[in-house]
Amino acid sequence: MDGGQPMKHLIPEFEKLKARFPAGFESSLVLPCVRRIQEDRGFVADADIDGLVEYLGVPRIQIEEVLSYYTQFRRKAIGRWHLQACRNVTCSMRSAERLIDHLSRRLGVAPGQTTPDGVFTLSTAECLGSCGTAPVVMVNDTYHENMSVEKLDRLLDELKGS
Amino acid sequence: MPEIFINGQSVQAETNQTVMQAALANGFYIPYFCWHPQLSIAGNCRICTVQVEGRSWVEIACNMPVSEGLHILTDSDLVRAHRKATMQFITLNHPVDCGICDKAGECTLQDYHFAYNGSPSVSREPKVHATKYHDLSARILLDNERCILCSRCVRFTREISKSNALGIKNRGDVSLVRAAEDSPLDGDPYSDNVVDICPVGALLSKPFLQKARVWYLQPTPSVCPGCERGCSVSIWHRKAQWHLRALDPAQNTSIARVTPLENPAVNGPWICNKGRDLAQVFERPRADHALLKGKPVELAVAIAAARKLVGEARHAVALVSSWGSNEELAAFKTALAGRFTTFVKRDHEAMPGERIEDDLLIRPDKNPNTAGARAILGESSTGEPAFPADTDLVLVWGEGCNFARLPATAKVVFLNSYLQPENGHADVFIPISIQTERAGHYTNFAGVVSRFERCFAKNPSVADAQELFAGLAVGTAVTS
Amino acid sequence: MPGKQLLMTFPVTATSHTLAAYLARGGYATLRRALATMKPEDVTKEVTASGLLGHGGAAFPAGRKWGVVHLNDNQPHYLCANADEGEPGTFKDRWILENAPHLLLESMLLASYALQVRNAFVYIRGEFDLPYRRLAAAVEEAYADGYFGERILGTEFSCDVVVYRGAGSYVCGEASGLLSSLEGKRGYPRNRPPRLTVQGLFKRPTVVNNVETLANIAGIIAHGAEAYKKVGTAKCPGTQLVSISGHIARPGVYEVEYGYPMAKFLFEDCGGMLPGQPLKCIVPGGISTKVLTAAEVEPLTFDHQSFAGAGSSLGSGGMIAIAEGTCMVRLLQVMLRFYHHESCGQCTPCREGMGWMHRIIDRIVAGQGQPEDIDSLYRISRLQDGMTICGMGDAAGYATVGILDKYRSEFEYWIREKHSQLEGNLEGAVHA
Repeated sequence: MDGGQPMKHLIPEFEKLKARFPAGFESSLVLPCVRRIQEDRGFVADADIDGLVEYLGVPRIQIEEVLSYYTQFRRKAIGRWHLQACRNVTCSMRSAERLIDHLSRRLGVAPGQTTPDGVFTLSTAECLGSCGTAPVVMVNDTYHENMSVEKLDRLLDELKGS
Repeated sequence: MPEIFINGQSVQAETNQTVMQAALANGFYIPYFCWHPQLSIAGNCRICTVQVEGRSWVEIACNMPVSEGLHILTDSDLVRAHRKATMQFITLNHPVDCGICDKAGECTLQDYHFAYNGSPSVSREPKVHATKYHDLSARILLDNERCILCSRCVRFTREISKSNALGIKNRGDVSLVRAAEDSPLDGDPYSDNVVDICPVGALLSKPFLQKARVWYLQPTPSVCPGCERGCSVSIWHRKAQWHLRALDPAQNTSIARVTPLENPAVNGPWICNKGRDLAQVFERPRADHALLKGKPVELAVAIAAARKLVGEARHAVALVSSWGSNEELAAFKTALAGRFTTFVKRDHEAMPGERIEDDLLIRPDKNPNTAGARAILGESSTGEPAFPADTDLVLVWGEGCNFARLPATAKVVFLNSYLQPENGHADVFIPISIQTERAGHYTNFAGVVSRFERCFAKNPSVADAQELFAGLAVGTAVTS
Repeated sequence: MPGKQLLMTFPVTATSHTLAAYLARGGYATLRRALATMKPEDVTKEVTASGLLGHGGAAFPAGRKWGVVHLNDNQPHYLCANADEGEPGTFKDRWILENAPHLLLESMLLASYALQVRNAFVYIRGEFDLPYRRLAAAVEEAYADGYFGERILGTEFSCDVVVYRGAGSYVCGEASGLLSSLEGKRGYPRNRPPRLTVQGLFKRPTVVNNVETLANIAGIIAHGAEAYKKVGTAKCPGTQLVSISGHIARPGVYEVEYGYPMAKFLFEDCGGMLPGQPLKCIVPGGISTKVLTAAEVEPLTFDHQSFAGAGSSLGSGGMIAIAEGTCMVRLLQVMLRFYHHESCGQCTPCREGMGWMHRIIDRIVAGQGQPEDIDSLYRISRLQDGMTICGMGDAAGYATVGILDKYRSEFEYWIREKHSQLEGNLEGAVHA
């Protein structure tokens, strides 16, 4: 993909977003713009950073820092389905570690890796704020709550088919 | 003007000061890594903690405002215990690289370890590793294991040089100082200041890398000739008692490095990279033989020949060096100004790509003493050099003369330090000393006069311009 | 239900979060009346008189925080609702975002009016899915009906709101870290002074309040401070949302009136522990509070004084019920791994100390523990306490010291025997 091109079609959306912020808040727009770009492309490319520097007028280093600091931002493509399994306190108390082992065995990858066919990326996550319905697995943006091995297997079958 | 008490002693603080500022200004030492008088407060190293009398905890001093009646203890048992603990945290993953680290001998971490901790590590865990020898820029090497993430370098590029070149990526104990990926640090003419302000051996100057241990070197105060700002610098070279005998003797008379010499009147604690590279200027191949039309002669012979030309000339023009010291210029004026129509020459111009001017230090005139020359030789000397048709002698002092523009009929006496083809074309060529071989003063663009000291002895076959000028006038008819 | 209810006062249905449903419950009437009959300082006075405490974990009186902002000082003020809810065990603000978003928005409008805020923000953690969608939809509904924008309800009061999504960083739940993130940078917390109410977002006076704290404002202005004080105790007026999870039979979000007996709450309202999972201890208010054993928690009442007296804290309202058979060494390992992952890395004690503690406990779990490791964990905790830029240093210390104080023998066992006393099990009576 070439230069800032892929980002340009998002600019009307960014302009609408900017209108809700006070004047002079270009710096604040970094996170929402990065998120939107990532929603579109699946990750943030180097050209996107250049485009955003031009559009917002912020130092390039600020965007690079933000991309590296926050867990949810990425600069490389991952699998079609990002499975993030919480392994914090309550989820672990409600079998999350067994679920993660199961996922790892069934997919043949360790947490942090993507299946060779590019369909699934498995990650562990810290507390997602859903402890009452533990254990929780996020699939892309969606919370899947009260999970079990059986439910996970069914979910994986569905996702694989889609 | 609040009165505060430090270790029981009354101190007059200023209204918006922090405890750190008030303490240092009044002779009390509070240790600090991340604090710097010219940078914003980061408050991340936590070594500057002090105790407010009566409280059972410590707080950082760099961010504590003074207030009337504040009682501070900088050396209580509690403060010492916390300093020791903070040192334990800082050195937890710090590699014991001292034996191979350039910073040894001028390292804040070393100094504080011995002052405030001094014990071996209390940790059993293997140290966390990170990138070693990362190319931060063409001039600067970064060792992330040594880095204590004080963020001074980052704040410098955001607040002082404004290149926004540096940042900190990732988070937690895998945080890494990094330059922005479009390499703006290479384009930051002040980049090397981060090497000075880094309190550990994380940021290292590549030109200086592993050249010499700092305790073998001495800093001689000097003035950077790179532009009319005339920043105060220290030129580092081997101490006399550490001169090498078995290795290349040139190392004993070479510039190991150049660092800023703090001068509130001129440059504060900073210089630009051009000043760091003065060795590239001063250590160009030198002219060390006098010449008569290219033929090597004794210095005295050349001086006599030049004196004769000066005496015989009826319409003489002098192109005077803007790298001449005030002392040399004064000597020229006394001895020769009456005989010459004098122009001050800009010996150096900006190189392609060199920054011309900015709000920080860099000034457009790339010579150190145009202002001094103007003050000593008068306003008329600053015009564009003009050679009347009957010019019969041109005295060229210093570099930067376009010899093709000199009248073909005029004789040329050329005083220069460096090897140049033109040396051989002059009627008389006399090699002269450079700044590091003598002491003197420059006047900067704002009228501030700064002194530079001698670093090295000059070659005996080379003249000092200051003595030379009197010798060129001796025994000739005075016309004015 | 655990005492009088102030927020969870309506049945949750498929549509109870909509504007129509909120209006039917009397929504936005309080805003209308306040804009017409109250001055901004009157709103702040009422909030101060109510004694409303912060519900994010610090329990700082909301009115006192608001009072620091100078009205008519010729500069912008900002309000930010903290919806970053990242403290493990905590999911109660989520209830408000999903089921009562308009309650939050009306309350924010009242707060904005009181504080002369033209631009308000909700900082919501990036992972939140349904809570974000519900809130974003509510904002659009509110704009469409004229509750946000210029000249609201025909008055001179104008206000815009932006829902700002985080991107995965626990320290962005700390007020100054939140503002750093809202400025579009890394979520680095800041040293105080200056207080955020003096110099906050882009150096302007900013009030950051927890979502639940704000959600109480509409009710306080509607019914008055006195009515609010009739609920709860003298020192802790009102209620707190509690999210309870773990080995409890009925996990979820409950609204607990301050002063309510803990034994009743745990064993009646929440249905007690799961069958065959007797209570061992609880994490009272997010993992950054010290654990309390079953014997310690049962006589307590749900308020700040009672929990402080027991050596712990109500914290963020994230209660975790832990059953017998759960290995506390492994539990602490999970917590330290979390803190290590979330440290922003700015200040020395936390950046180095979190990794250090995590590595020590990993070594213990790997069967390579040494007797002095327990003292090391205590010492590192103590040296982080009060020494860090934000409260995370203290938090990890409380989590560690709390567990070590009560369950030291499990650690000594593992170090001596090189394996867990409880098979490393985290699931109580359930085993893998």
